[in-house]
Amino acid sequence: MLTLTNIVRKYGRKTVLNGVSATFPSGLTLLVGPSGAGKSTLLRLLATAEKPNAGEIAWDGAALPGARRALRATLGYAPQAVDLPEDLTAREFALHMAALKGLDAKAADAQFGAITERIGLHADINNRISTFSGGMRRRLVFAQAMLGAPRLLALDEPTAELDSETAASVSALIVERAAKAAVVMTTHLADALAPQAVQVLRVDQGRVAPQ
Amino acid sequence: MMPRAQPVPQPAAVLRSSLSTSLARYRRSWGLWLLLLIAPIGARFMISDESGKGIVIAINDQLPVLSSAMLGVWLGIVVTTLLLPAGYIYLRANTNRRQPWQVEEVTAAPRVAMLMGRFLADAAVLLGTLGTLTLAGWLLGWLMVSGPYSPWRITYPLWLIAAPPLVALAALRILFDAVPWLRGALGDLAYFFVWVASLVLPILGADQPSSFGTNLLDYPGFVRPLKGGETVGSNSIQIGGVDPGTLKPGRIDLDVAAGLNAPGYVAARFAWIGIAVGLVLFAGLIYRPHRSGRKRPGHGRIAKLLSAGPPPAARVDAPPAHATRSASIGLVLAEFRLIGAGRLFLLLAMAAALAGTAGDYRHIGSAAALLLLVFALSAHAGRSEARGLLRLTATTATPPMARRAAFIAAGLCWSLVIALPAAVVRGSGEPLLLALSTGAAAAATAMALGALTGSSFAPRVVLLIGWYVYFSS
Repeated sequence: MLTLTNIVRKYGRKTVLNGVSATFPSGLTLLVGPSGAGKSTLLRLLATAEKPNAGEIAWDGAALPGARRALRATLGYAPQAVDLPEDLTAREFALHMAALKGLDAKAADAQFGAITERIGLHADINNRISTFSGGMRRRLVFAQAMLGAPRLLALDEPTAELDSETAASVSALIVERAAKAAVVMTTHLADALAPQAVQVLRVDQGRVAPQ
Repeated sequence: MMPRAQPVPQPAAVLRSSLSTSLARYRRSWGLWLLLLIAPIGARFMISDESGKGIVIAINDQLPVLSSAMLGVWLGIVVTTLLLPAGYIYLRANTNRRQPWQVEEVTAAPRVAMLMGRFLADAAVLLGTLGTLTLAGWLLGWLMVSGPYSPWRITYPLWLIAAPPLVALAALRILFDAVPWLRGALGDLAYFFVWVASLVLPILGADQPSSFGTNLLDYPGFVRPLKGGETVGSNSIQIGGVDPGTLKPGRIDLDVAAGLNAPGYVAARFAWIGIAVGLVLFAGLIYRPHRSGRKRPGHGRIAKLLSAGPPPAARVDAPPAHATRSASIGLVLAEFRLIGAGRLFLLLAMAAALAGTAGDYRHIGSAAALLLLVFALSAHAGRSEARGLLRLTATTATPPMARRAAFIAAGLCWSLVIALPAAVVRGSGEPLLLALSTGAAAAATAMALGALTGSSFAPRVVLLIGWYVYFSS
């Protein structure tokens, strides 16, 4: 379980998150709110991609930065924008990420095949990323986040740019994973996923509150 | 109702906007301030005394008398011969390398004006750096020159020699950005050849009487100032690292002013500025849009040969991947696979390994292997250190420094693997020792520069220059 206590995050003089406290238990947590409210910032903090200016983040009761390594060992993160290596194939990129996560290459290859099969990307995994559309890139970033058995998944709009059928496949995988892990995501499909969620948090004006 | 006339972009307004936004981006980048700081600090190491520490300019194995004018000439020549690749790297890897071309290229703005604005910004940055170097030259002159101290006599030759090549360099960068195939690795390779040619061509005109034509061949501008008033062709010139033991005692007194005022010299320097402006106009005329981010996979025979083929059938019930038994070995193996990604690399690696089994290994097999690794290492260092990807990879269990160490180890492994057939055929460990040193140096340099700049431009150019030095020595 991940907990935030009095988190403050500023960019220059602008305070994006101001004294945010929240708990992310096992299950699906949806983050909603207007554009620019700080949802992606909150996800970056959960994913240890950024540090707060003040406040405490704790994973399984141990505070960061001491517990950062333990958290990263079991984290799956899909940010909205990634500089994907255009000259690699999707499979090469996924195996690279698997190595960075400390996963067995053969098992990761098999799991990547299974995930991409379910989200309609498998036929293209041996193609270079430079041949991918926006939606294919989004699915690739999602697939690498799912590798291993992450206990915390931080997903930033994983279903954006996807057609409704593919978005449903991605959502189904997310809901499955949420049975065993804390999944925190921002999505424009909040209404459809809300029944599956253990909580829906609204991020607005630097604060986070249950919807 | 009459339709309202569509606004037409005014070239002057486009140029002004392109210039001011480029300058604003430069101003907000740490790289510019680092460059402006490094130039004056580095100036001290551009001038050598008899100890040979720093960059030596020797005429007939003698150092020149360091008058004010000679100091300006010295700094100018170091900039136009040895430091131009650093300027190229800076321009290719700086904050302006990313442009919003997806939206810019669909506007009606004239390309020439847009590129001219960028060119002026690039040139301003390089000339600004020359300005800080001039200030350092004044200080060095105050401490070092023999004879009368004159800031003007330092400044005039320094700017006359160095400014035109810097402006031309900015133009070359714009030209390379205008043509799709020069925007990447091929552009860096092309620049490498341009740079080598710029060092060789002046020698062709060195034995000719001074004229506009012969001086135009002297892009770095070093021949006439170092020939001074001497008989044409009688002086041997050395620039760069020189063994101090080979230097003769005493100093040679050059008539720098005679060289700078030689017929056609000043006109040729200004002509290079004109050529630079011409290059930018040409770049604007031939500008080709960026290709869409989504490329179609190739379908020809070669594409099939080089492609990874269809993926293996997926097992939908595959369990989540478990942790590897040795994360470090897994990481090195992953880096090894990615450095050698693609069948083309494997084909070329086999060719380099074969080339090493016959002939002079040091100049054929080892040079071929190193050249291949220059491209492979810089490509992977650049892609794995891209800022946008680091935001993702930094959140994994592997610290960035561990990944970088694995990269160097994997680069070393490739170097050894390619050298192995040569070692076996010769029954000697010498190829492996050579591969060990060159592979480690290349991998460490690629990673250090890739991490510093977040792109593959800097490692590729620096390693190409290093390769040339290795190949020709």
